[in-house]
Amino acid sequence: MVNLTIDNRQVTAPRNATIYEAAKINGIHIPILCHDNKLKPFGACRMCLVEVEQMKGRQIPACTTPVTEGMIVTTSTPDIIKARKLVLELLLLNHPLDCPVCDKGGDCDLQNLSYDYKISSNRFHDQKFQHKIDYNNPLIERDMNRCILCGKCVRICDEIVSFGALTFIGRGIETKIGCEFDEALNCEFCGSCVSVCPVGALLARPFKFKARFWAMEKKRSICGYCGTGCNLTLGVKEGKVLTTVYDENQGFHRGQLCVRGRFGYQFINNEKRLKKPLIRKNGALVECGWDEALQLAASKIRNGSETAAIATPRLTNEEFFLFRKLMKGIGSENFDHAAGYAHKALTSGFARSLGSAASTAMVNDIQKSDMLLVIKTDSYETHPVIGFEINIAVKDKGVKLNIVSDKNGKLGKLPGARTFVHLPGSETLLINALCSSVIKQKLVSSTAASLPDFKEYAKGIEAFSPEKAASLCGISPEEINSLAADFASSKKAMILFPTGVAYPGHDSELATALANLAILAGKVEGEGCGLLCLPEKNNSQGAVDTGFYPTGKGLDALSVFDAIEDGRIKTLFLAGENPVVSYPDEARIKRALEKLDFLVLTTLFPTETAEYADLVLPASSYAEKEGTFTSAGGHVQYFAPVIPKAGDSRTDFEIISSLIKLTGGEAASNPSEIFAEIASTLDGYAGMTYENLGENGAFTAVKTRPALILPQTQAPALRKPEEFSLVTGALLYHNGTLSQFGEGPMHVSPESYAEISRKDASRLGIKENDTITLTSDSGSMQLAARVSLRIPEGVVFIPNHFSANPVNAIWSGKPVTPVALSR
Amino acid sequence: MSEKDGIKILICQGTGGISMGAKDVEAAFVRHLAEKGVDAVIGKRCDIIKTGCRGLCANDVLVDIITPEQGRVTYDFVKPEEVEKIIDEHLVKKETIEKRKAKPYYNQFVNAQMRVVMTGCGQIDPESLNAYLEEDGFKAIEKCIRGMKPDEVIEEVKKSGLRGRGGGGFPTGTKWSFCKASPGNHKYLICNADEGDPGAFMDRSLLEGDPFCIIEGMMIAAYAIGCDFGYVYVRAEYPLAVQRLQHAIDICYEKNYLGKNIQGWGFDFDMRIKMGAGAFVCGEETALMASIEGFRGMSRPRPPFPAVRGLWGKPTNINNVETFANVRHIINRGADWYASLGTDTTKGTKIFAVTGKVKHTGLVEVPAGMKIREVIYDVCGGIANNRKFKAVQAGGPSGGCIPAEILDTPVDYDSLIKAGAMMGSGGLVVMDETTCMVDVSRFFLNFTRMESCGKCVPCRIGLKVMLDILERITEGRGEPSDIETLKDLGIAIKKSSLCGLGQTAPNPILSTINYFRDEYEAHINDKRCPSNCCKELLLWQVVVDKCVKCGACKKACPVDAIVWEKGEIAYLDKEKCTKCKSCYDACRFMAIE
Repeated sequence: MVNLTIDNRQVTAPRNATIYEAAKINGIHIPILCHDNKLKPFGACRMCLVEVEQMKGRQIPACTTPVTEGMIVTTSTPDIIKARKLVLELLLLNHPLDCPVCDKGGDCDLQNLSYDYKISSNRFHDQKFQHKIDYNNPLIERDMNRCILCGKCVRICDEIVSFGALTFIGRGIETKIGCEFDEALNCEFCGSCVSVCPVGALLARPFKFKARFWAMEKKRSICGYCGTGCNLTLGVKEGKVLTTVYDENQGFHRGQLCVRGRFGYQFINNEKRLKKPLIRKNGALVECGWDEALQLAASKIRNGSETAAIATPRLTNEEFFLFRKLMKGIGSENFDHAAGYAHKALTSGFARSLGSAASTAMVNDIQKSDMLLVIKTDSYETHPVIGFEINIAVKDKGVKLNIVSDKNGKLGKLPGARTFVHLPGSETLLINALCSSVIKQKLVSSTAASLPDFKEYAKGIEAFSPEKAASLCGISPEEINSLAADFASSKKAMILFPTGVAYPGHDSELATALANLAILAGKVEGEGCGLLCLPEKNNSQGAVDTGFYPTGKGLDALSVFDAIEDGRIKTLFLAGENPVVSYPDEARIKRALEKLDFLVLTTLFPTETAEYADLVLPASSYAEKEGTFTSAGGHVQYFAPVIPKAGDSRTDFEIISSLIKLTGGEAASNPSEIFAEIASTLDGYAGMTYENLGENGAFTAVKTRPALILPQTQAPALRKPEEFSLVTGALLYHNGTLSQFGEGPMHVSPESYAEISRKDASRLGIKENDTITLTSDSGSMQLAARVSLRIPEGVVFIPNHFSANPVNAIWSGKPVTPVALSR
Repeated sequence: MSEKDGIKILICQGTGGISMGAKDVEAAFVRHLAEKGVDAVIGKRCDIIKTGCRGLCANDVLVDIITPEQGRVTYDFVKPEEVEKIIDEHLVKKETIEKRKAKPYYNQFVNAQMRVVMTGCGQIDPESLNAYLEEDGFKAIEKCIRGMKPDEVIEEVKKSGLRGRGGGGFPTGTKWSFCKASPGNHKYLICNADEGDPGAFMDRSLLEGDPFCIIEGMMIAAYAIGCDFGYVYVRAEYPLAVQRLQHAIDICYEKNYLGKNIQGWGFDFDMRIKMGAGAFVCGEETALMASIEGFRGMSRPRPPFPAVRGLWGKPTNINNVETFANVRHIINRGADWYASLGTDTTKGTKIFAVTGKVKHTGLVEVPAGMKIREVIYDVCGGIANNRKFKAVQAGGPSGGCIPAEILDTPVDYDSLIKAGAMMGSGGLVVMDETTCMVDVSRFFLNFTRMESCGKCVPCRIGLKVMLDILERITEGRGEPSDIETLKDLGIAIKKSSLCGLGQTAPNPILSTINYFRDEYEAHINDKRCPSNCCKELLLWQVVVDKCVKCGACKKACPVDAIVWEKGEIAYLDKEKCTKCKSCYDACRFMAIE
């Protein structure tokens, strides 16, 4: 710590702090326009100038000058105030004063500072800027006339997003922020630039003219899309969520959001939201009252042995816990989530290899590591904000990045990153080969060598020597050895891999293989080490923690559909799930649903699955309820409702609670009571209460008991020359099928496509946007072609989010589906 | 080689020389020497040596002929068609052509100087390593590596009192010691050759005329600091400098004066050229480093200083071309010798680029501390066209104007700053009574505001506002409060700007307001330009009393606005006049105003 004096106050600050940070820590406000706490200091705006006794005669920028022992700082002298006033006068000279129609009004740093410094007149006169406004994309408006060139957008896009869409162009007074060749903005549309813009130069178009800033309530919540667990501040007016509001102090990600977190909130107030229960009468769904609906549902599920339940991993921990109680209460063991296989990496893989179904690393380990091994470049698309953490780790902290993937991607473009592109479906094989190489290169940690099962494992893994594996996974033995050595010899190393319905290959075997690698290299635990599973949905980890998956004789989700077909299951309770679109093999799902005696569905929207339901119960979104989510790395976070429930919708908590009561159980009164029960039953949650979770949440305790188990894997079937390997995955703009109801994501990514390599495209004479036909054993579909450089030859990639033309028409749910492709 | 051995023909081939046709002159010499078989005729070998710039570019093409009999004779303004005559008379007949010899002022120009840094310039072939070796080339680095510890080299440079020649005047030895003291095993050395000041070209001439001495200077610095890689950041507008330096680097690699284990001395040094893309601000060290890294040339705040966190985040030492050129002389001739030159605070010599309304423009190297008056009058022959001296702008667009009253200011860092100007890179723009000081300020400010990178507010917008006010004043729309506003703004911009560009850009305005406030007042209050310079304020006419009926004005007028017959007083047709000032400039009798 350093001792210094600021405005006659003796204060202390960390050694590496700047004057600005030191003042902020000590509650002293220094005005600033170009600073954001997650960006590197820039020193452009000259608002934060202060005087320092030791550097007399100069005006010192507080945001870039580090503190030194004994420094005497004065933050406002007549000279400094004069300089700040001049800066504001100069900025207001060309900046249009259209505050009445500017969305930033009330939240504008320039406006606020002009007010603070009473800039009521200007000594100078000049014309206002006449730049053309960029309206070329649906999400971000760029009005460079209002720009004050603080450079925050340029820096955030470069330093954190690593896209680099924006830069300074021109010189002198003609300087402005522009895109390449001064053309329209065309980027990832994460809106990070919008979030940091201190003025109205960059605006979120979906929010234009929706509300004045001060007329909205700003309410805290947790993002309801992926499993990253980002914090949100939602702008709410008259019971509607109108926008996301940036808060640089929020969450591990310091307010940083991705495109769906920032622009995908509209599903909450989407007009298609169901507002009343619907009951099927004479073949059609008609509105009914809650009493009738719940009575009917209770009567149908009462016979537990013939009832199964499948839930979306978007329910809260409390809802899952209660739901499990309901199922147990009616005597059914058939409950599951996430297609039954997307959680197996945790519930089966980690559980047996590490002793518990949880990751051993946390998100904030990423920047503390020395090397990251990322499975699939898709990790950036599935969990963009974790992708940003990786960007920062690699670019700023010098963390090495190695990627094992079936295609190239954005992460691979980071400085020094190496991508090992393997044949589709061979990831477990490749990881086994890495393990074998670690043993061969004698890089095994002493802890691993002393494990009782080490010898047997070492013998078994010999079958996966790099030489044997090379041709099967498409990576040379030398590369395998070098990657293995790189991982094992790094002081700290971490493994990240996404799971989800779209990644059937990321199963228990892969998780076990990865756990083995970490165990062998001695990287299971500790700062900057460990395994971090990136689960697909916002509460995937919570669903696992609360045990909402079958054990013993219970049927898993896909087996439920088998059981429906052979008549063992007659009633299905779907909570939020939309299997018709998202589960493999559409035809088979539909066949089963048709055969059901009774299908009850809780849902926000009239989905494709609702068409098969006998009873549709309108559920509430996360913005309308209370509870906790557990995100990647076991981060448990509490959230409160921010708006009233849509129409007559009820939370799944209320619905399940009512059903418990109607089936003879004891109803729960509120989520906090159930959470107390969770805390007292689940070891990982011990001691947690809503009160002590507070705004920062808490991390589940994870006990590890490493074991080396040989994963079961076989080489992927060799592709016939004329066949393509279909792999599915996530897009940056979507998460599951829910984001289809958010306008923002649909603006920039409205429909499905089939991505193929440039070589295949030219061989088959396929051009961008040509309609191509894809045929597999289970069906056939037509999609627009996208020709790209990142896909290897013989591979076709199709995203799994879209209800219109869903990929499950041809997708088998195996890691790789062989398909025929024609024009 | 002594001057007795053979005949040497030195042809100036700097950028100035080449643009005046030095290549053709050289070709003519080659052709005629061969055709006439001169070597055989006079029984001696004639070597044609292309040299770098020797300073007096205004008189190019300069040809020095050194013969045992006549010694060194300089011909100026040489044209290819004159070459045959020079060969016939000077070489064959051994008769100097007195009429074509450079006038006495040439010798005065040369002799009044003190050439240390520029010894090689104009004397040796910049493309020949042997020529450099003959001039004790690479002796200094050898002396360092073989006989001195790095700390001793730094001590020697500190003792010499050498200060950075880029303008700031930071003690070079101290700068080196900072970088040496920075932890890290990888450090960079940068030679700043982004000479952007209008009118300054000493760095270019050094690179063109003696590139090896820059390489040697960098090697010494690298040895002292402990780094093994150097960049020379040259502006792309200097193609010849880039070509000559690259040539020199290539030869050095070939002959193992660069690369690994240089000359078996156990010292490694690599270097490469990075060409700029034409931004003045890239002469600022942090912007320069950003540019080398491939980013847009924008300054960043210091600290951290480059010595701590510079290029690619590594400790970096940046010096100017001229600074590096000094180093070998300090090592060769000793710090004490160097410290004996110059003043208490500014040691050694300094090269100035003298331009403007002076008789002989060019590069001038003088001991620091010489009076400005001596530079202008003794070396450069005084003001052209019999006009009156008004001011000299020292330090380029970031410098200030020094009026006649303080013409005895010595040229050293501190005296110039006290006078409201600065050493800068060493540009001296001489102005006479026809130069309007408001217009000069406007000119320099227009340059700096165009070259502002746009990052910080005071520089980006503030300079534009100042320029607007100056333009108003020169167009006769000035307001009485303008002078105070300009002063106020200027001081505020100096204090609050991020980098050297903004911190110095208001200097020309502030110094002209200080010394020539009356001119501003005349523009604002009387709507009159006392120097007859600001077009909007002028109504040209012939002063009948002064007109000598020569007709020079008529010849100069591009729009036939002057009526003149032989023996008659000229008349200026105000309807036709476009106020272009051609007649005013053409008249040598101040008969037009």
